[in-house]
Amino acid sequence: MFLLKLAILNINRNPRRSFITVLAVAVGLAALIFLWGFSDGTIERQRDNVVRLFTGHVQIHTVGFEQSLSPELVLKDRLGIVEKIQSQPHVVTLTERVKAEALIGTSQNSRGVLMIGVDPLREPLVIEIREQVKEGHFLSPVGNREVLVGYRLAEKLGVHIGDKVVIMTQAIDGTLAGYAYRVRGILHTGSLDLDELSIYTTLQSAQELLGLEKEVHELVIRLTSRAAIPGFLNAVKKTLDETPYEILTWDDIIPSVNQWASWAEAIIRTILVTVTIVIGVGIMNTIVMSVFERTRELGVMMAIGTSPAQIIRLILLETLVLECFGVVLGVIAGYLVTFYFGIVGIHFYGVEEAFSATYMSTVTYTQVKGIHVIQSILTLVAVTSLIGIYPAWKAGRMVPVKAIYHSY
Amino acid sequence: MDAPIVAVENITKVFKDQISLPVRALTDVSFQIQEGEFVALCGPSGSGKTTLLNLIGCLDQPTRGKVFFDGEEISRLGQQALTRYRLEKIGFIFQDYNLIPTLTALENIEYVLWLQGIPSAQRRKRALVICERFGIAKLVTRRPPQLSRGQQQRAAVARAVIHKPRIVLGDELTANLDHKTGTELMDFLKELNREEKITFIYATHDPMIMARASRVIRLEDGQLVDDLRQY
Repeated sequence: MFLLKLAILNINRNPRRSFITVLAVAVGLAALIFLWGFSDGTIERQRDNVVRLFTGHVQIHTVGFEQSLSPELVLKDRLGIVEKIQSQPHVVTLTERVKAEALIGTSQNSRGVLMIGVDPLREPLVIEIREQVKEGHFLSPVGNREVLVGYRLAEKLGVHIGDKVVIMTQAIDGTLAGYAYRVRGILHTGSLDLDELSIYTTLQSAQELLGLEKEVHELVIRLTSRAAIPGFLNAVKKTLDETPYEILTWDDIIPSVNQWASWAEAIIRTILVTVTIVIGVGIMNTIVMSVFERTRELGVMMAIGTSPAQIIRLILLETLVLECFGVVLGVIAGYLVTFYFGIVGIHFYGVEEAFSATYMSTVTYTQVKGIHVIQSILTLVAVTSLIGIYPAWKAGRMVPVKAIYHSY
Repeated sequence: MDAPIVAVENITKVFKDQISLPVRALTDVSFQIQEGEFVALCGPSGSGKTTLLNLIGCLDQPTRGKVFFDGEEISRLGQQALTRYRLEKIGFIFQDYNLIPTLTALENIEYVLWLQGIPSAQRRKRALVICERFGIAKLVTRRPPQLSRGQQQRAAVARAVIHKPRIVLGDELTANLDHKTGTELMDFLKELNREEKITFIYATHDPMIMARASRVIRLEDGQLVDDLRQY
């Protein structure tokens, strides 16, 4: 306690210098907490977007369907699976889909697309597709031969609400099937790919076109949260004969989001180390100055019996005390700023297309993750303490007689 | 005759650095000091008084020769052993008092006891007793800049003797004090020497302070030129 008291008193000798150092630590740490909060908020939003708008939490197909999109790879024992899945824990709801590669065309233009047949009543319970319809209307439960197209595809085809298009695909029997459909809505999904390369029609229309009875290709399942996925998968493995099925999580279907998250984390860790080194050098400067100014005093302390190890401990303690004050202030400031932007959000304008390519939203709500705050604090304290060893070691190596007669 | 507490044998100290020419501070100096002596090292500036004190006080090591403390050669001990010696057996009084400015007078005095690992309550008690004896009991909460020179020197002396060292070394310890305060301090040290049997060795060039010593060792140009016992 005596050494700690001495360390605090020493720091207080030059309050302005100590305050500036503490402020540097606090601002650096607050910036790191905010940066993590920004990154975590962005990535969480991306993951949410993927699940809410595109994939659901989990999808089940027949093995090989996701790669080949072969129309004959329908889900075996569809009703049995649906019943088993619905009885699993964490399941909120599910919906069925039919998917096929198709050609959509007008009299002037045609494009290859992914045709997705959805249940107009159940699909909006799993995927927020209704909100993606920015012009026209969502598919009608009773309507037939209606189609939703992405705005980019609509532009390329030159079609508008109410226009007729022809959709052709290979039916399950290998024949070429095609019908005329009417454009009911224009989608802005937030994904450039989906807006250009996908179309939605009713499940019934898709089944008719492909020559399917009631069969479907895909089950899309919504769980209570993403955190429930591992538990759900474990439960499914126990109740479902997995052999003919492919159970894919949102991350299996769109792995780029988690790859992006890893990349962002690597960048932030690089910034974290860089910032902490800069802060550490600042602290070292303060301590070096402080030691230099006290050379004679430290010499006297050694002369009257203070060991080099005690001098080193004292100087390291001074470094640690400075860090602690900075860390407390930094955590408070970092939390407050991150909390504030977690409520009001950070809005980005004019970047919709670039952001949508990576499933990002134009609003980011920052998020504080305890693990990242702790990592930042530990890195900061570890790096700055390591740097602080140098002035402490130098002080401990002083020759008392030289230090006592040291002149400035 | 008892074994000497300090024995200096043929000590030579040469200061060398990379810039200037070597400086011979002490040349072949030898003497012995018995326990309980009150010794003045005197001589003009640059005669080697402070260098000799530093060698006896385990702060420096001789270029040649040996220093013995209680029969043990200390001139070749390692840093750790020297620190232990200084802490347990030696007290220092510096010309500029050199109290730790951030600590109160009481904390400065108990600092050495803290280094020795004495528990807080015990060291506080001992420090208060010594402050009472040194007439600074009412000043214990003041920090050095709030004390007069005389009060600072008393606190420095208290710090030097609180752990009951075998010898106390002083370097021009009255140089910054007025005549009256200097005389009072020397009387006080003499009293400690008599009552506690602490050996005092101090460097001075003040004849009045010299006159209080029981023995005067005179140095000139790093050589011992006179060793006089006075009664």
